[in-house]
Amino acid sequence: MAMIAFEHVGKRYGGRFEALADLNFTIERGEMVFLTGHSGAGKSSVLRLLTCLERPTRGKLSVGGHDLGRLPVSQIPYYRRQIGVVYQDHQLLFDRSVFDNVALPLTIRGVMPEDARRRVRAALDKIGLLHRENALPIELSGGEQQRVGIARAVVNKPALLMADEPTGNLDPQLSADIMRLFEDFNRIGTTVLIASHDLALIARLRHRVLRLREGRLIGDEEAA
Amino acid sequence: MNLPSRRGARRHQLGVESRARAWRRHHLRMAVDSARRLRERPLASLMTMLAIAVALMLPAILWLVLSSASLLDRNLDDSAQMTLYLSPQLSESRAMEIADRVGGMAGVDATRLITAAAGLQEFQQRLGTGDTLALLDDNPLPATVVVQPSSRNPEQVQALAEQLDGLEGVERARLDMAWLERLRQLAELGQRLVIALGVLFACGVLLVVGNTVRLAVESRRREIEVVTLVGATHAFVRRPFLYSGAWYGLGGGLMALVLLFAGRQWLSAPIDALARSFGTHYTLPALGLGGSAFLLCCGTLLGLMGAWLAVDRHLAGIRPR
Repeated sequence: MAMIAFEHVGKRYGGRFEALADLNFTIERGEMVFLTGHSGAGKSSVLRLLTCLERPTRGKLSVGGHDLGRLPVSQIPYYRRQIGVVYQDHQLLFDRSVFDNVALPLTIRGVMPEDARRRVRAALDKIGLLHRENALPIELSGGEQQRVGIARAVVNKPALLMADEPTGNLDPQLSADIMRLFEDFNRIGTTVLIASHDLALIARLRHRVLRLREGRLIGDEEAA
Repeated sequence: MNLPSRRGARRHQLGVESRARAWRRHHLRMAVDSARRLRERPLASLMTMLAIAVALMLPAILWLVLSSASLLDRNLDDSAQMTLYLSPQLSESRAMEIADRVGGMAGVDATRLITAAAGLQEFQQRLGTGDTLALLDDNPLPATVVVQPSSRNPEQVQALAEQLDGLEGVERARLDMAWLERLRQLAELGQRLVIALGVLFACGVLLVVGNTVRLAVESRRREIEVVTLVGATHAFVRRPFLYSGAWYGLGGGLMALVLLFAGRQWLSAPIDALARSFGTHYTLPALGLGGSAFLLCCGTLLGLMGAWLAVDRHLAGIRPR
């Protein structure tokens, strides 16, 4: 069964503007896929549907066998606990330490503190920021904040990891580092979906690429 | 990837027991954390609590006034008793006979005979003049029997009065029903006023807490957004705010108790003096242990509800569209 399946999915805003139109594609478990297109092509809308921030106005969208269009509101939190999302603007809490930010999904799930500490340390170690665990996010550089966001997304060991422009404002070297992190997670079986308009970087990485334009899928290139 | 079934959600991956422990831990942390947040802005928190205290105090004061009136009411309830004026020329032994007989009748609790002589003496005392009445040749007062009916029901008392009125040797049975009726209606009015005021001021507390918590929600909007993104349930988001609401309510309730106590102390000296000048004794009513606990419970519950309303309005706005 596919991890993500879009079947004739459409999304309209305010009954007029059509952000997504008749979107059809599937992403299998364990795949690593880039979603690309100009700004306004619908990348963010796709991610907003996948994180259940919005519902499709047409068609059926399922993730891991769950029909997100019909997922009861009370079940949305439990769905979100099973996916990891890296946001473009990081979505970190600036009044809490790096450690507490990464521990947030575990705190919400009620993981015991000892267990949580071990898992947060492991995630921070993976992104190379273990030595900054007591820092506040504001003391970190943009690239470091992005990595904290990644650590928070993977601390729950999600089966599906999504990222929205994870290399948005980073220099090429840092961008490549971040992408390598995603590849590492993909190598251990995590399905990875990355929305990005950094075409040069994407071309170098040789993964499947989905191209969007004006809310429609105009290209689906398999990994070279 | 499998979503837990609706009920089984909590059991997913983590044991029930460790979930319960985590839940308790989170509650404790939120209780302490929200109290700390209140303490960080002491003036604002105290102002909110004071507003709640005033809203709780007003119905409490009215209730106290009424309950002290109902103490009076119990005394005045004795006006349900009736007075039998016996025929003027009756001998004392005959009067005693009548009093005994009435005392043995159904529907009568007790009787008290006031002989003509005793009545005159009492009258003299009340007037405070020893001489005026001494000018009279005969005692103009009849012997009276004060009857205490066992029933307080106006109709039954009325029926008893009619029955006693026809008794031999009884000139007239007097019963002031109108006064009794008026008093009852006043008490009813007072009770309804307390309820109406209680409801009105409860709404006031809800609004005060609701508005304060709404501002707190507003200032932590980002935090709510982030925790919701990583899978926080509504209950999780609501929890810290519910605790602040409860703390506000409890604090307001405590303040109301302190203010009521202080007010009572402040008023008791002049009222004591006033009562003494009338030759009576009067103590201001107090809430007591039960009443105080009730006031605190009301405050806490209203705080909780106000917070709930405020948070839910915010949460309803962040559902997926």
